[in-house]
Amino acid sequence: MTSRRRLLAGGAAVAGLGVAGGAAVAATTGRDAPAPVAAAVALTTGTATVPFHGPRQAGIAEDPPAHASFVAFTLPAGADRRALARMMRLLTDDARRLTQGVPALGDTDATLAVLPARLTVTFGFGPGLYRAAGLEPPVTDLPTFKIDRLERRWSGGDLLLQICADDPLTVAHTQRMLIKDTRPFASVRWVQQGFRRSPGVQAPEHTQRNVLGQMDGTANPRGAEIEPAVWNQDGSTQLVVRRIRAEIETWDILAVADKENAVGRRLESGAPLSGTQERDEPDFAKLDASGLPAMPDFSHVTRARVTDPAMKILRRPYNYDGAPNAAGHPDSGLIFASYQRDIAQQYVPIQQRLADKDLLNEWITPIGSAVFAVPPGCDEDGWIGEQVLA
Amino acid sequence: MTRSRSVAVIVAAVAAVAVLAPAAPASAHAQLLSSVPAAGAALPEAPSVVTLRFSEDLNPEFTTVVLSNAAQQRIPAAPPVVAAATATVSVDGPLTAGAYTVAYRVVSKDGHTVQGSYGFTVGPPPSAAAAPSAVAAVSNDSGGIPAGLLISLAVLGAALIAAAAYFATSGRRPKRT
Repeated sequence: MTSRRRLLAGGAAVAGLGVAGGAAVAATTGRDAPAPVAAAVALTTGTATVPFHGPRQAGIAEDPPAHASFVAFTLPAGADRRALARMMRLLTDDARRLTQGVPALGDTDATLAVLPARLTVTFGFGPGLYRAAGLEPPVTDLPTFKIDRLERRWSGGDLLLQICADDPLTVAHTQRMLIKDTRPFASVRWVQQGFRRSPGVQAPEHTQRNVLGQMDGTANPRGAEIEPAVWNQDGSTQLVVRRIRAEIETWDILAVADKENAVGRRLESGAPLSGTQERDEPDFAKLDASGLPAMPDFSHVTRARVTDPAMKILRRPYNYDGAPNAAGHPDSGLIFASYQRDIAQQYVPIQQRLADKDLLNEWITPIGSAVFAVPPGCDEDGWIGEQVLA
Repeated sequence: MTRSRSVAVIVAAVAAVAVLAPAAPASAHAQLLSSVPAAGAALPEAPSVVTLRFSEDLNPEFTTVVLSNAAQQRIPAAPPVVAAATATVSVDGPLTAGAYTVAYRVVSKDGHTVQGSYGFTVGPPPSAAAAPSAVAAVSNDSGGIPAGLLISLAVLGAALIAAAAYFATSGRRPKRT
């Protein structure tokens, strides 16, 4: 009786999960299971919040939530500073509500706002926004790299919203509410939606894998290293967003050793080819018995290396996986997002080295590119962008 | 052991070889065809350049050729100059008498990494101990196990499977000797 009652309670708790929840319960009915699978799921994921207010914007230094939508906007000709300020006041107000689980002003589906699931909304200003406001842009478009095959539909943007949460419905609702706010002021230029591992799947500090199976982010600055690499004195930073298509069909015909030589790390452990553990510092001077460098000089890790901690970039990428074409070839890749104090000083030299020589380039193609200045955060009475547009 | 059983065992062994053996030799991959100095050469005079010729054009971005002495120290040399399927390394200073190892790592057109090494000696015939360890060219794919070894292992594995199947079906266990 006891176990049956527990099962019923578990069934009620997961009723909202539909088929998956039902399946979990069904799977336990035949055995003397002490607790239904679904009952073990921590329900704190949905109610978790990230503070919106502060000297720096949220959504940058925290562990990235599982889902993200990057929404870029184009300003109409004639947009001026006062209109931009009005738009940013509206957006800030709804972002501060939604991130705390409070419905947006005039929220037409307020029930969708109550589970923020670590929702963050981060605002970036493209070069065009500064020009519209009559200001000198702190960021400029990236130089052209020979590996680029940029498409207009994934490139540029005057305003960016980076919406992140551990739940895709929360992201969808937030995106819908905030785009409504922008309608009188700007048009949607592109939207890129991506994902990482779901909450509870891996420990947060675990390095995630991209769609090519590689550990992605091992060399990221951590803890105190983030400060000098990412933040300016005034709480601002800069963001690069690039859409990197993965050439899965040709990648799939490689042997594991070929993939490892392209990256410079073991696929399974993430260890550099000169070491044994993921966090081992790559030893670029190490030679094998025949005299070849253990880290191939054309591998991605070798080419991307940065020794000065202040020159590192904070990578915060998301995977994307669109619909395959009729032949079954995937449309997959990476929404590369990196935060750094200064794009020109930190990001461009790394990307230039990779564009000049990186074996991994044979299987990845940049098809979108955009740069944004990320203004400081704001307090309860302020709004994002007030230092720029007020 | 019945006739049908032995047929089954043979079929199983053939299937195991088919499954375990690697695909046909990778003729599409770059291979080292020849070199100057040649593998195992004993040269009375030091060469100033080392030239490697491969079976397909090389990508200069992804071509590494290094020269080391018997103490496994790198001999200073400029990065290889690549022309079509040939990579040439110019040695900075004259090579002293002794044993040397040439190692290469190149990338085939399909992205497959190929690497290997070979030795040569300079000067009067060295004592046996100082002879280059890699007189016979050592070549492997991507630092992995040579295909020949893989095939041998596959055949050995198939033989073991066949033997196990024989003893299992004949109802006897192998005698310990």
